[in-house]
Amino acid sequence: MNDLATLLVQQSINGVYLGCLYVMVALGLTLIYGVMNQINFAHADFVTVGAFTAFFVATRFATKVLGLGDAAAYLVSIFVALGAGAVLGLLVNALVFAPLRERGDELRPLIATIGISVLLENGQLALFGPIPFQFDSPFAKETIRFGRIFFTGQSVLVVVVSMLAIGALYAFMKFTFTGKALRAVSQDRETAGLMGINPDFLIGLTIVIASAMAGMAGALIGPVLVLTPFAGATVIVKAFAIVIIGGFGNIEGTILAGILVGIIEAFTVQYLGSGLIDLVVFVLLLVMLVVRPTGLIAERREENV
Amino acid sequence: MSTPLLAVESIELAYGDVPAVRDVSFKVDEGEIVTLVGSNGAGKSTTLRGVAGLMRPRRGRIVFQGRDITSLPAWERAIAGIALVPEGRRVFPFLTVRENLEMGGYKDRRDGARVGARIERMLDMFPRLRERAGQRAGTLSGGEQQMLALTRALMSEPRLLCLDEPSLGLAPLVVQEIFRGIRAINAAGTSVLLVEQNARYALETASRGYVLQTGGVIASGPCTELMHDARVRQAYLGRG
Ligand SMILES: Nc1ncnc2c1ncn2[C@@H]1O[C@H](COP(=O)(O)OP(=O)(O)OP(=O)(O)O)[C@@H](O)[C@H]1O
Ligand SMILES: [Mg+2]
Repeated sequence: MNDLATLLVQQSINGVYLGCLYVMVALGLTLIYGVMNQINFAHADFVTVGAFTAFFVATRFATKVLGLGDAAAYLVSIFVALGAGAVLGLLVNALVFAPLRERGDELRPLIATIGISVLLENGQLALFGPIPFQFDSPFAKETIRFGRIFFTGQSVLVVVVSMLAIGALYAFMKFTFTGKALRAVSQDRETAGLMGINPDFLIGLTIVIASAMAGMAGALIGPVLVLTPFAGATVIVKAFAIVIIGGFGNIEGTILAGILVGIIEAFTVQYLGSGLIDLVVFVLLLVMLVVRPTGLIAERREENV
Repeated sequence: MSTPLLAVESIELAYGDVPAVRDVSFKVDEGEIVTLVGSNGAGKSTTLRGVAGLMRPRRGRIVFQGRDITSLPAWERAIAGIALVPEGRRVFPFLTVRENLEMGGYKDRRDGARVGARIERMLDMFPRLRERAGQRAGTLSGGEQQMLALTRALMSEPRLLCLDEPSLGLAPLVVQEIFRGIRAINAAGTSVLLVEQNARYALETASRGYVLQTGGVIASGPCTELMHDARVRQAYLGRG
């Protein structure tokens, strides 16, 4: 292989790895927007909570208390972070979203999510302080090489775990009764009720799934974050861009857009330098808003209903 | 006297603070087709929304199979046996025809084979839907969407089927097809509460009717009598 081809393959692999991480974060935003028409500003902090949960499980609890090896401990921590995200989602739904939904206005939940964000950030600040934690994945040290193409065990793990999670979510939405009911609720909540579907239950379930994915994403992304109570903010801006590029509330579009942004980021780093990533992503966002305001896969709202 | 399937007792329904239905009472017995007629804005759709649980009455009671369902949300009423084909069809536009039907059978989701068999029966009833089973419902024509909305409501095997203007915007032949379907459904044992712009069709199909005007019932009785009622003839049937 010549140099250019090697470079293209190498950067594409890096891009898919980044893209998987972004998709894990962005899907939660898209899901919640889809069923509630609501933006969850605390989503970034769910990622942070996942990262801290994974950090403490991997480096303290699983190794010191359970006596697991580093690799097993990190794997366990990914699932604990998933669970932590789910529990957080459950709490936020029960304490904030569900009671506000009864009152049926749009602005209050939005402001409430900002409140939750502030609460989580400052809560973690009080617990963990502002100094970044060093979260090393045991898989980051393993390098796998094919000819002149390198990748770390961590990136393989991230791609495999997120593809499994994304695939499972996709299959759930597409093929199960509950998943289809969830889509029905997001298309027409009132009519879904006429079908005997309990919209409140499904909205709660969506929040739990979205939060669990955010928690899991935190565990996967933790090792490359500067792990402070504000760490989630660094990915959330891109996740929002991905949600918009993918067409608000559109799952396929979000997956595509996430991978695309990951690849663009990888090549931007290669050719333009890492300082320009946000610039490039947001130029793409603006171009999309002008050229295809409905997102990559146009499907929502404008067809004859 | 046996208890009626549905008894609506002096309900008042409002959008915000503006009442749309002031004081409406009526009943539907087992096996009956009952129609609500009235001009635009009389409160027919609002009444059906109240029956299906999309709106809570500010006053009055709704009793279904002897049970007070006034405070039940729509999804629990659906499970109790009330189905509504809402005004404007409201199919799920991005679900396929088959998925829309599956949603109609949601309460029996644990028995996939049963839901599947019912879908087959619905697709037999309207072969045009079968040809489009894998197509997104939003891409169907108006008539096809109406057939889908009707069969989707039947998927739950309701005790009471509420229909809001099933003929709206449809070609006469399709209207006949839909009304044939409604009579067949009723013959098979489902009670029907029918709201229909086309009062002649409605009065010919139903056995009893109620005439609504500005949120209240102004006349009621067997359809044969209503058809000869001067007020009904003037307002809804022309003079013929
Ligand atoms: N979403 C709404 N918000 C506010 N007012 C409404 C709403 N829907 C209906 N109304 C009002 O309630 C009254 C009754 O409306 P409704 O839709 O029940 O009439 P209808 O008898 O079904 O009429 P049509 O034959 O035109 O369908 C009308 O005065 C209407 O303006
Ligand atoms: Mg109406």
